[in-house]
Amino acid sequence: MELSHKSIALAGDHTSLDPSSVGRDTSLKLYRQMLRLRRMEEALLAEYHPADEMRCPIHFCIGQEAVPAALSLLLGRDDFLFSHHRSHGYFFAKGAPMRELFAEIYGRESGASGGMAGSQDISHPASNFFSGAILSGAVSIAVGAAMGFQLQKSGHISVAGFGEGATDEGAFWESVNHAGNKKPPMLFVIENNRYATFSDQLKRQERDNICERVRPFGVGATQIFGNDVVLVWQTLAAEIQRVRNGEGAALVEAYTYRWNSHVGPEDDGFNHYRSNEEIAFWKRNCPIRLLQEKLFELVWISSEEIAAIEEEIAQEIAGCFEFAKTARFPEVTDWTRLNFASSSPLADRLLADEESMNFNPAQSEAKLAPY
Amino acid sequence: MQERPISYAEAICEATDQAMQLCEKVIVLGQLVDTPSGIFGTTTGLADKYGADRVQDFPVSENLMTAAALGTALTGMRPVICHQRLDFMLYSLDAVANWLALWRFKSNGKSGVPVTIRAIVGKGWGQGPQHSKSLHSWFAHLPGLRVAMPSTAFDAKGLLLESIFSEDPAIFIEGRGLFSMREHVPEKPYRVRFGKCAIRRVGTDVTIVALGAMVPPALRAAASLEAEGISVEVLDPRTLAPLDRQGILESVSKTRRLIVAEPGWHSFGAAAEIVATATESLGDRLLHNPIRIAYPDSHTPMSMALEAKYYPGEPDLVAAVKRAVSE
Repeated sequence: MELSHKSIALAGDHTSLDPSSVGRDTSLKLYRQMLRLRRMEEALLAEYHPADEMRCPIHFCIGQEAVPAALSLLLGRDDFLFSHHRSHGYFFAKGAPMRELFAEIYGRESGASGGMAGSQDISHPASNFFSGAILSGAVSIAVGAAMGFQLQKSGHISVAGFGEGATDEGAFWESVNHAGNKKPPMLFVIENNRYATFSDQLKRQERDNICERVRPFGVGATQIFGNDVVLVWQTLAAEIQRVRNGEGAALVEAYTYRWNSHVGPEDDGFNHYRSNEEIAFWKRNCPIRLLQEKLFELVWISSEEIAAIEEEIAQEIAGCFEFAKTARFPEVTDWTRLNFASSSPLADRLLADEESMNFNPAQSEAKLAPY
Repeated sequence: MQERPISYAEAICEATDQAMQLCEKVIVLGQLVDTPSGIFGTTTGLADKYGADRVQDFPVSENLMTAAALGTALTGMRPVICHQRLDFMLYSLDAVANWLALWRFKSNGKSGVPVTIRAIVGKGWGQGPQHSKSLHSWFAHLPGLRVAMPSTAFDAKGLLLESIFSEDPAIFIEGRGLFSMREHVPEKPYRVRFGKCAIRRVGTDVTIVALGAMVPPALRAAASLEAEGISVEVLDPRTLAPLDRQGILESVSKTRRLIVAEPGWHSFGAAAEIVATATESLGDRLLHNPIRIAYPDSHTPMSMALEAKYYPGEPDLVAAVKRAVSE
């Protein structure tokens, strides 16, 4: 049966998460990554107001930690990851440094993008991580990166993470069409959190069957309950292996949920776009809680060990705030240098200057024909 | 020096061929780029020589093509994408304006995307409103994007090689009417730098700054006016972004009269920018108000009867020069 937000709600609380299928080491790494992301987002939320030192739109990803945590264990440095406005988890997934994320949000020179981009447009080229706020644009770019890897037989893969809202865009379907046809090493990862801002998927699309629609394009598509981090890890691991082996493009649709407002810390519940029951269901089925319960059952972690992890994360976050708040603001002396390269080493190496002002104007224009 | 006249279309094809020969990272993407006819002769033979991996017929998905070109550039490739008419690329404006043009800026200079967009502008023979737009002024308005409008075969080759091997995205706007025009073109690969205008004709009374397809009529006008004792300097900026403002100011300082010939709509265009550049520095020294010769603020008519009225040419430029020197 195809999964949907409706079928997930009808099925009731998720009980089948099984850490033993991936082992203790992977389970603890996933737990730690999710907790780190959760605590970071909570800290940023708490600090956002009234301090008002982070003056850019932030789309918090609390509740959606499982996919980025799993990707963080599965992607190599040379693999590319492209994300969207809700970027923080993906920034982590490529191992980009947390303090550069903080400094970016604070608009500082030492930010990942030097204070030019902010949360929703952040990139970290050294980690091969890129994002942007316009839906689906980065998905198409990711397909191009996969084409580049395919041409160069590099063995790397390109991954695009995005929400189901991006599948409203023609650019997404152009991307699926081409990736299915040319089979570059491309993985599409949809975090289906049901809403494009406040708009339900079924208000925007006739059916919530993205995977079913994608498959005829030649892209293998898998749906999963996206808050079961073990299942997410297993599914992504298998698909990444297939894509890396040159078996063509794949898509994974992970059903999940954002706890907070679409953007910023203020509650957007006054728009009445989702029910309290729905929010409560997804909070009960929190990806961290689901894993933690099983870790306790298996006695793979103790309260003391969790407290130690919490303390370590708290210190890391405190250090990032310190780094960001004390960093310099950027200065600009030449706007052109921000927008254009200042050198052209390859052209310098390959090309010599030539000049000719000639033009013989006694020539008629090309005569056009029907084609 | 041995003259080696080749056409504008052949010069583009030669530049692309040499770029692909010089660097295996250069690829060509576009609809029908791999067909025997090539894109009006500009890609002929490339698919046979370099294979389907490097010369890729692309689906009719202009937005994806541009964004994907950006993606390939991130992996080290140097893509050249082709649009048989610029009008088709308007589906790609998101990729151009939201991603390509600001990629370097957004990464604080840590990532660059050398993508070359070739866009052909139709003119005449009933191209009508969806096969004739130039829109060079739109693109020049965007920070981070370089805009070339070569008028000669020599510049087409040098500017295309420069676009491909430099580090920033460039849009390369080609006048379809220029494709048959021949000029001496050196065989070796060479570069023509962006931001340096060409003085096509030296003169003392009036400066005509002519862009792209307006260069030939400007030169013909200048030649006929010389017979009447009027000396016209013809400047071809060659690139709009960056624009050689200094070169324009030097010429206008000398002639103190400015006419701008633009193959695009009259209002809010490159001609207005060039006039503003001159008047901001030299306004009180000019002997006559600057004149813009451009297309009417109207979409392009199909009918040959109206095309003749729509496109300005040599007579309009001759009349403008006479006004400038006599009033």
